[in-house]
Amino acid sequence: MSNVYIDQFPAEAKVIRAAFYSSFLALALGGVFGIIQTLHRTDFLRFMDSVDYYTVLTAHGVFLVISFTIFFLVGIFTWAVTTSLDRGLEDIRFTWGWYSLMAIGITMTGVAILAGFTDAIDMSASVLFTFYAPLQAHPLFYLGLVLFVVGTWVAGVDWFRSWWAWKAENPDERIPLPTFMVLTTMLMWYIATLGVAAAILLFLLPWSLGLIETVNPLLTRTLFWFFGHPVVYFWLMPAYMMWYVMLPKFSGGKLFSDPLARVVFVLFLILSVPTGIHHQYLDPGIAEGFKFIAMTNTMFLLLPSLLTAFTVVASMEHGARQRGGEGYFGWLKALPWRDPVFTGMALAGLMFAAAGFSGMINAGMNINYLVHNTFWVVGHFHLTVGTAVALTFMAVTYWFLPQVTGKALWSRSVALGQVVVWFVGMTFMSNAMHRAGLLGVPRRTAEPQYEGFEFQAAVGSIGELDAQIALGGVLLTISLGMFFANVVGTALNGRSDDLPANEYAGALSGPDDAPLVLDNLKLWTAIAVVLVIFAYTFPLLSIIDRGGLFGPEVIPFPLTVESATTLGFALETAASTSFESAGEIATSALTAVMR
Amino acid sequence: MNVHTYEKIWLVAAMVLIVAFIATITYGSVGLGIAMVGDQQPTIEPTELGDDERFGEPRVEQVGENEYEAYVVAQTFSYQPDPIEVPEDSQVTFYVTARDVIHSFSIAGTNVNTMAIPGEIAEMTVEFDEAGEYGIVCNEYCGPDHHNMEGKLHVVSADEFDLTDLSADGPDEVAVGDSVDVDVVVENRQLEDLETTVTLEIGDETVSEEVTVPGGDAVETTLSVDSSALGEGDHDWTVTVDDHDSSGSVTVLEELDDDADGGEDDE
Ligand code: HEM
Ligand SMILES: [Cu+2]
Ligand SMILES: [Cu+2]
Repeated sequence: MSNVYIDQFPAEAKVIRAAFYSSFLALALGGVFGIIQTLHRTDFLRFMDSVDYYTVLTAHGVFLVISFTIFFLVGIFTWAVTTSLDRGLEDIRFTWGWYSLMAIGITMTGVAILAGFTDAIDMSASVLFTFYAPLQAHPLFYLGLVLFVVGTWVAGVDWFRSWWAWKAENPDERIPLPTFMVLTTMLMWYIATLGVAAAILLFLLPWSLGLIETVNPLLTRTLFWFFGHPVVYFWLMPAYMMWYVMLPKFSGGKLFSDPLARVVFVLFLILSVPTGIHHQYLDPGIAEGFKFIAMTNTMFLLLPSLLTAFTVVASMEHGARQRGGEGYFGWLKALPWRDPVFTGMALAGLMFAAAGFSGMINAGMNINYLVHNTFWVVGHFHLTVGTAVALTFMAVTYWFLPQVTGKALWSRSVALGQVVVWFVGMTFMSNAMHRAGLLGVPRRTAEPQYEGFEFQAAVGSIGELDAQIALGGVLLTISLGMFFANVVGTALNGRSDDLPANEYAGALSGPDDAPLVLDNLKLWTAIAVVLVIFAYTFPLLSIIDRGGLFGPEVIPFPLTVESATTLGFALETAASTSFESAGEIATSALTAVMR
Repeated sequence: MNVHTYEKIWLVAAMVLIVAFIATITYGSVGLGIAMVGDQQPTIEPTELGDDERFGEPRVEQVGENEYEAYVVAQTFSYQPDPIEVPEDSQVTFYVTARDVIHSFSIAGTNVNTMAIPGEIAEMTVEFDEAGEYGIVCNEYCGPDHHNMEGKLHVVSADEFDLTDLSADGPDEVAVGDSVDVDVVVENRQLEDLETTVTLEIGDETVSEEVTVPGGDAVETTLSVDSSALGEGDHDWTVTVDDHDSSGSVTVLEELDDDADGGEDDE
């Protein structure tokens, strides 16, 4: 028997394939909506009513950050657990069970969203992926999300079952690193999703069904962000896992330190949730003190990312030196830059470093006022989830797809071109989005061109920024096309007997160097829960005390199409003068002093 | 645990960096006494804003020598008042709430930015040093016409600025020989008394009156013109106070229908 994944675990490979293809379908749909909205916003091509823009945006957000990312990660988590424990899942029917729950759930949600395009069906859910009440979606939208999340919960149970069974047979062994990463991520996810589950099950779903009259908009919004921040780590931790256990292998070396990798994942488990209020710095009704606590936690959450940066670079250097690289920076040349898997991940990591910078700006309680809800934020998260995560996922697909299909990759050079084009496209799009945000250009807006005023650019013009955004968007779309060509081409290939073995990177400093306490998942979960209780009990009680559990009387806004009148003021005026980004921060901050 | 020396250095450097961030921001906000949007304000019933003392009539009011308060309502898909006018060299505290869904109140290109959440009131104080015009955008998606939700903020020079409100009301018809009485209300929302002239122009006739409106108060007066001087027919009139005006028109008839006062239905 060969040591390719599909031969080791044929049944699991099939589930992973299903998860990957679901994920890619979502990526394809999301990408199409992405380019439509890019060209609409920037006024290069408007073929739909601006009202429909918000349906497109909801679909883009939900399909990409819910279905694309999560379907992909359940695939690689299944791979990680089975490979590192070297055992199949306990009951493959159970596995298909959670896959089906997720698939049915997201289909329901997707139908509710897409129905918004036609008047023929009395259904819509153009509420964006944050679904803030009193905006109201069709019940199917909420119900689908619930099923999808429950599916991921059951998936976690599946992986825990594998681990428990393995532990019974190997009582004295350390948890293998990939499994450790899966389990800590899932524990974080269980805590995080309690927020959105409460928001939907206690309030939004009954409200959309007419069972309760009103909801408290600030309460459901806060519960959303209870989940909304840690969900970014749910996307990011699988990407980190790839950087820890795969990137060193592709660099030609080993992971620098297994114990530190465990520390990083434990820190994520502990610190991811009690930070969500940093998305609400501008919300009235939440005391400054609570915002401050969230900010402090957020800053400490930088630590695991900074540690990861160190380990990743150190592991790459080790790999390069194994390959004969020399010198202070000379070793960089010895890295396998022709390998799309390596290059894609390395470029993703590089962009993540840039994202770290704009993230720190976002996290600062005072400077956040300048950028909150502007296009800056969109620029930021296209670097994080849109590149650090998405590009890593696409790059490792070039290794995983052959593993789970048993077929050779269709074209390595197209793959290499794909990751580079993504990097270039995102550089254009994201940089211009950041700059536009500093001028005050809002996010989530079909026509950010106003009648009464113009955005003042100090360097270049709004027209130039729009052109860069559109150019970036087109490059990204081309890159996606290349990706799908490879996915389809590979699927159409015949079986190959010439595939690399299924394995992940070993560590220079192995698990035996890690203190045993690191593997005490109960302890870390308990600490995480306590921190969440500290960070959230008082804010939630205070919100309920102020506004009531079900809030004031609010009128639901089912977003019907006919309620909209679109004023097409297509004349977009280009502003003339402007400064460099840094100067822009400084001057705009001075324009108005907040007391 | 076996930690490499470089790793230890990096770890320490990372912690120092983080603590430095927190310290900078703490100083930059708490230390300098900059208040963030918080829970300073009580909650409010979004469906009863009309009866509220502050939000029933969204407006700017003077509360101190250079201090003003602005009560702003965000609703799908506009702001009240619009435009918002404040003087230069002033300190303005904005109170912002939402009538329906969540909006934002964001002065484009500045850090004046807050969510407007139904049921909650955001409070923030801003200093305006120079005259200028700003755009206000809603940067929180609020429905199908979100992209058309905008407002304006005018910071005007001190001599251009006032908080005077004028309303005038006159009869629709009068008989020749009767006087045309226009009732005028002048409101002054500034603290200082307003000494000014109310002028009524109608046809070739002009009458005016000096009034003193106490700060934070209003005065009512009536200006009259004899209709014989105007002659039969339709006459437009305008009342002016400083830069404000209000107009209407009156028809002078040979003789009034007896039951005209009862509301003749000829429109
Ligand atoms: C072809 C590639 C892509 C293009 C052209 C694109 C373009 C855009 C644009 C222009 C917006 C801003 C819309 C607005 O605020 O008015 C946006 C929003 C967004 N994008 Fe992308 N994007 C792409 C890929 C991705 C990927 C790969 C992800 C994540 C995995 C992603 C996640 C998001 C999210 C979460 C939003 C915010 C949705 C919201 O505000 O509700 N995008 N995208
Ligand atoms: Cu966050
Ligand atoms: Cu809006």
